[in-house]
Amino acid sequence: MNFEEILAHHLLDHVYFPLFTKGGFTLAVSKHSVTMWVVAVLLVLALSAAARGRAGAGLLWRTAIEAIVLYVRDYIVAPVFGRDSEAYLPYFLTLFFFILGCNLWGLLPGASAVTGNVWVTAALALSTFGLINLAGISKFGLAAHFKHLVPGGLPWIWWLSPLLIPLLYVIELIGLCAKCVALCIRLFANIFSGHVVSLAFLCMIFVFAQFGRAVGLAVSPAAIGLALFVGALDLLVALIQAYIFTLLTAVFVGMAVHPH
Amino acid sequence: MDKLVTPDPGLMLWTIVTFLALVALLKRFAWGPLLTAIAEREARLRAEGAAAQKARDEAERIKNELSTQLAEAQARRQEVLDRAAKDGEAVLAQFKAAAEEETRRLREKTAAELGREKDRLVVELRREVADLSVAAAERLLRRSVDPGVEKAVLDEFLKDIERGGRRQ
Repeated sequence: MNFEEILAHHLLDHVYFPLFTKGGFTLAVSKHSVTMWVVAVLLVLALSAAARGRAGAGLLWRTAIEAIVLYVRDYIVAPVFGRDSEAYLPYFLTLFFFILGCNLWGLLPGASAVTGNVWVTAALALSTFGLINLAGISKFGLAAHFKHLVPGGLPWIWWLSPLLIPLLYVIELIGLCAKCVALCIRLFANIFSGHVVSLAFLCMIFVFAQFGRAVGLAVSPAAIGLALFVGALDLLVALIQAYIFTLLTAVFVGMAVHPH
Repeated sequence: MDKLVTPDPGLMLWTIVTFLALVALLKRFAWGPLLTAIAEREARLRAEGAAAQKARDEAERIKNELSTQLAEAQARRQEVLDRAAKDGEAVLAQFKAAAEEETRRLREKTAAELGREKDRLVVELRREVADLSVAAAERLLRRSVDPGVEKAVLDEFLKDIERGGRRQ
């Protein structure tokens, strides 16, 4: 039994059928894209049901969702954007629930973890990158937005500044990209590693079964227990990573909107 | 596992498209109604809070007003009581003075009447005594005295008595 194959089967994307191919670019219906759509449809259904909840279970569901919505509004978006919160709130709420939905869906047996695919998280980080620049440009204009990359009020030293300021721009640009790359890697690594560890514990049963069926059986309670423990941890990680991704996106966009 | 790090721009595109479509859909069907309802509820709560605060302020104002009025009423009552006590004392003093005056007047009047009565009694007594004396003398002198002389003697006698009474 090949652990790498198991991992590849469980964690990697599988193309069902390509839609469009040109050069290195392939647009395909794949396991992860379908999973994303399923999560998206479920989110639309569940959250619009929450918005309509008036009595009984619907009201309970609405109250639960409202608690999260208010948390995102009051503790993530409002401190950063203040009065502009309303415009940004749908983006951040969707970001939080989309990542949370994908993370939780990935924990279901047999489902695939789309946020454990680095290109999905990269796309989300790219959205953040786009939002940072869009927000900055729409608030200050193109030139002023990029001028704000380097903090103002630096002392002017005639022999140093002409060299240093372009260097600062380069550094800040790299920093901007690094923030987004870090967002991408953080979410991917947390979700991916959770699944790898779970699978590794479960595969221990089969590794030990190589020594004999009895050894495999003897190891299995410990292995399943550990896998369950990691699964429980992953539940926590699913929530925390959704929160962190949303919070950091808000902070980064906030830095672009309030440069000082 | 090479595929893990092989760029997949197609999936990235799907992700961005799915995510942005989800933003639009949820904004339309979930966040819009939910946030509107939350905003309405918060506005209502704020309004209710403001109304409650206003009512509390009004109650406080009325309470203060009432306690001011109560204090005023108490002060006024005290004033009225004080004035009534003072007036009462004045009236009492007046009555007392009037009563004393009346008593004094009555005493004087009584004394004057008593004096007049005494004088009258004295005159009457003298007259009685004179009559008795005359009657006694008459009895003694009945036959020897002439009625004209008798009259003259009696008049003189009475005058004497009169003079004597005055001298006393």
